[in-house]
Amino acid sequence: MIRHLPARLYVTAIYLFFYIPILVLIAYSFNEAQYSLLWHGFSWRWYTELFSDRDLWIAVLHTLILGVSAATIAMWIGTLAAVCLYRYVFYGKQLLYGLIFVLILSPDIVMGISLLILFSVSGVQLGFFSLLLAHITFCIPFVAVTVYSRMISFDQNIFEAARDLGARDHVIFGRITLPLIWPAMLAGWLLSFTLSQDDVIISYFVAGPDFEILPLRIYSMVRSGVKPEINALCAVTFALTLLIVMLSQFFLRKKP
Amino acid sequence: MKAIFLFLSVTLFLLAAHTGVASEKTENKEKKEKKDNIVNVYAWPDVIPDFIIREFEKETGIKVNFSTYGSNEVLYARLRMSPAPVYDVIEPSSYYLDRMRRENMLEPLDRAKLTGFHNLDPLFLNKVWDPHNRFSVPWIWGVTGMFYDTHTALPAPARWADLWKPAYANQLMLLDDSREVFSMALKSLGYSVNDRNPEHIKKAYEKLRALSANIHLFKSDGVISLLADGEASIGMAWNGDLYRARLTNPALRFVYPADGFVIWVDNLAIPKAAPHKQNALRFIDFLLQAKVAKDSALAHNYPVANLAARKLLPAAIRNDPVQYPPAGILRRGEFQQDIDDQSLALYEKYWEQIKMGE
Repeated sequence: MIRHLPARLYVTAIYLFFYIPILVLIAYSFNEAQYSLLWHGFSWRWYTELFSDRDLWIAVLHTLILGVSAATIAMWIGTLAAVCLYRYVFYGKQLLYGLIFVLILSPDIVMGISLLILFSVSGVQLGFFSLLLAHITFCIPFVAVTVYSRMISFDQNIFEAARDLGARDHVIFGRITLPLIWPAMLAGWLLSFTLSQDDVIISYFVAGPDFEILPLRIYSMVRSGVKPEINALCAVTFALTLLIVMLSQFFLRKKP
Repeated sequence: MKAIFLFLSVTLFLLAAHTGVASEKTENKEKKEKKDNIVNVYAWPDVIPDFIIREFEKETGIKVNFSTYGSNEVLYARLRMSPAPVYDVIEPSSYYLDRMRRENMLEPLDRAKLTGFHNLDPLFLNKVWDPHNRFSVPWIWGVTGMFYDTHTALPAPARWADLWKPAYANQLMLLDDSREVFSMALKSLGYSVNDRNPEHIKKAYEKLRALSANIHLFKSDGVISLLADGEASIGMAWNGDLYRARLTNPALRFVYPADGFVIWVDNLAIPKAAPHKQNALRFIDFLLQAKVAKDSALAHNYPVANLAARKLLPAAIRNDPVQYPPAGILRRGEFQQDIDDQSLALYEKYWEQIKMGE
């Protein structure tokens, strides 16, 4: 017991560091005061306001629609890119692989401006469609890299054996590749969804007037003070996330 | 952040000149969109309450798309870089409105359609940034003055010049905004807050350097929290922020400096080639109605430029000297205006030096 003490303390400290900010945020969602950061008593007031604020919910809904669509499309395109990079040998493969990393490393502001210029020149109206294209674009590399790094841990012989037994490319993909890589695809999807949910910089450039999303809305509130209503929203989101994680642990646990 | 947006707007201005192709396509789109009964509003957060928008939708059947920005620079950059005009109603501060007007970014307002125009306070009409109000109508306004917390037992200041007193060593909280901080020094030297004379700006810079021992911090975001919790003892604040903080912390006091102060005004306007001009006019006219402006004022707590609405407010607010100072005091105020890029660059240069403690 004593032997493990330093390790336990270390882990506790790390987890406290992760979770204290979230707990503080949740605590303030129950604070009676609008501006004050001192404790003014317990109240559900911000939750009541949260559930009656129609504009905010529209922004939340927009953000969710955008996140789910972008993550789903990016997951498929990114997976195909990873499969292609892994399975086939062609001229310029290394270059393509390198270019994916360039996209991950390039600053958001560069991507935001370049997409905006592209949309301007091609006359794309700013709104849901431009946001969706932008979000798919910055999510694809993350999916591709996640899936690719899972694939290189496979035994190449599986695919060759399948081919020996007469399987065509699409059968190999459907029956062998897909069942092996789906956890990586799911990870890529979740990563993309998260990235889409909290992107401010790229969205700032390509958002239009009829499709306001939550990150931009919160960002614009900073000057006049973020309302505790947003804390309440974060608390609700956190509770939902917790619930989803617990359910997935419950359903996915290995049966003894 | 500001610098980035300014840089962007310049880049994108060049870009906008390039997109002739896009605007041709837009014309077709415009015809199509006229059928959509919507209005795209782009404003500061919290200044047009949710329920007012619902009321407008119910009364007119026009759907409102409402989005918000956190600084004038964002608004300006967005209008500049949008491939086609998309916003119908915007709410820039006066000095940015001036810039937009001069750069031909605004649509003239059809006065005949603005039935509530006569409700407006003449004090905020026909100003330098928009002579004869051809392009805009004032919506809300405010003052940058001094505050102090009576808990701290510091002597009360009466004029900006008082803040240089050694009694306030390491106490001052100033807004994190170059124009605002310079206006304080310029006023204490007897100059205009919109001064463009490099000599005067330099003197103001030297004056501010002498203040460094008294400055505790520069802050513009989350000011109300600090004021409400009694964590700031003395400094510079917007009267609207102080009014709201005082609801929690009654020990706060607001001072209209005797040597003069800045008045800012946020205005409603229609950007050039807005896709739903008629709906935009209806929206602006709706906001000009006395009852609507009064109900909004009760929600956002900023002073309103609508005289008829002011008369409808409860006496406690209408007569509150923090929100609505008597005319005699307001006469000492000076409206914030746009200044030329060269002077602005000079201000920014000195501002960087002050922030770095040089």
